[in-house]
Amino acid sequence: MTHEELEDVIPLYAIGTLERAERQAIEAHLLSGCVPCHTALKEYQSVAVMLPFGLNMSAPPRGLKARLMAARTMTVATEPVDQHTGKPSLEPGEWMNHLFPPETSSRAESLGWTLALAAVAIIAGVAYLAWAAYNTKIREDTVKLTQLQEQLTVGNSKLAAQQLLLNERERMLAETQEELRRTRTAMAELKDQLIQREAELDGVNAQLAQQNTRRRSIPQDELAALLRTPAIKAVALAGTEMSRHASGTLFYDDRTKRAWFYALNLPANSNGTTYQLWAMYEKPAPIGVFQIGTGATSQMFAKPLPTFMSAKKFAVSLEPSGGSPEPTGPLYLLSQPQS
Amino acid sequence: MTPVSPHAASTIAPTLLARVAKGEQQALSQLYDVSSTLLFSIALRILGHREEAAELLQEVYLEIWSKVVRYDVGRGTPIAWLITLTRSRAIDRLRMRGTRTRPTSVQAVNSHTTPPLTDYNPPPVEAQADQELRTHVSNILSTLPQAQQQAIELAYYEGLSHTEISVRLNQPVESVKTRLKLGMAKLRESLRHDWVQNERP
Repeated sequence: MTHEELEDVIPLYAIGTLERAERQAIEAHLLSGCVPCHTALKEYQSVAVMLPFGLNMSAPPRGLKARLMAARTMTVATEPVDQHTGKPSLEPGEWMNHLFPPETSSRAESLGWTLALAAVAIIAGVAYLAWAAYNTKIREDTVKLTQLQEQLTVGNSKLAAQQLLLNERERMLAETQEELRRTRTAMAELKDQLIQREAELDGVNAQLAQQNTRRRSIPQDELAALLRTPAIKAVALAGTEMSRHASGTLFYDDRTKRAWFYALNLPANSNGTTYQLWAMYEKPAPIGVFQIGTGATSQMFAKPLPTFMSAKKFAVSLEPSGGSPEPTGPLYLLSQPQS
Repeated sequence: MTPVSPHAASTIAPTLLARVAKGEQQALSQLYDVSSTLLFSIALRILGHREEAAELLQEVYLEIWSKVVRYDVGRGTPIAWLITLTRSRAIDRLRMRGTRTRPTSVQAVNSHTTPPLTDYNPPPVEAQADQELRTHVSNILSTLPQAQQQAIELAYYEGLSHTEISVRLNQPVESVKTRLKLGMAKLRESLRHDWVQNERP
């Protein structure tokens, strides 16, 4: 995908509708450090975050905050809670103690005058005590059993909560591992792409270097050929009020109709402007344009003009970028009138 | 009694999250007061069921409290982090549930799930900054054509890909993409003016 294609789908990436392959392409592009795409993504993500502010607001349940704060406190204070709940409330020894109820005092008055009645009374008293002790034991056993069942329920609830917490942590661990695996895969793919791009870049750089070498050699070759021409005509241009220290030289071969111009010490032209060389007849005719950087000289080959040799003077002016059909800016170089 | 929060959800300071990271109980309470209504509304919009939304909100806050140390102010505002986390967890839950037959508008959710008054707070009192922001965002959203608005809602609140949206709406994928791009671009242009104003000293 090209930069334009990737930039085009950034809003879809920000709102999360891209398929996996498209997402990976965008992420690789962002990793390459594309500033415009980063800026666009940041703005579109801010747009996505603003969307919920368009919802009708609904308050959460009243008790939720209390539950949350309690859950938070329980998480922090897990250890003390466990110390208290870890020990059963009834030790085996204590349980055994309750199997036998405390003795109850019961006294029967004996009148002594009838042994049989006393014996009956004693038998009745013993029977009553045995019955009362049995009933008390049953009641207490039932109470203790209920308590134990409640404790068991509480213990099971806590165990289930711990199990849920454990499951959640295992799920998060699995997710993290999966994310790590995906990231590693993506990194490996990016690395491969980077190696491929570097190889392509090396190729482009080599081609660029060849083209630059070829381009630089052309003016020198042209000048050498021009200087070997016996009938070459040379015209010197001097700096005007605008550039007293500037100078220029124009070589022209009437036979091949080729011209070469060399400028020295001209001030650098600003953005949006260009220097333009003119052949001054009754009406000035443009020869060509050239640029000057800071501290630079300039060389220029011009297209031949049929009446070039009849020009009275030559001049260089500063014009809007691309040149003008006739001089509009100040003159920087000017030759003496030609004979 | 409704708690009146002097702070706006849209302007939660990073220092509040820093205090939460230190375990300050008061900071936790303040963060909940400021953000819970917005986050609950998001969860409710996505899940469409109040009990489930409340359950999710509880999980989200526990996660916020356990992960707040990872918050990086360089990657977004505190409320952006909270919104993104809530939306992400709600969409996860929606996908696990496998139910995609959801209401497609806020009005639909609110009309189907009116809670018993004893269980839920009355409408919250909002900070002025939040009120102004909500009005502004609602106005901007209402200027979008219905088709663009619908595509954005399906993407954001149901987590659908553009292919899934095209199936849901029975429209070509390219048409869905265009609606999403145009809608998001218009929202971006409308909100950019505010961002520029907010960045002024």
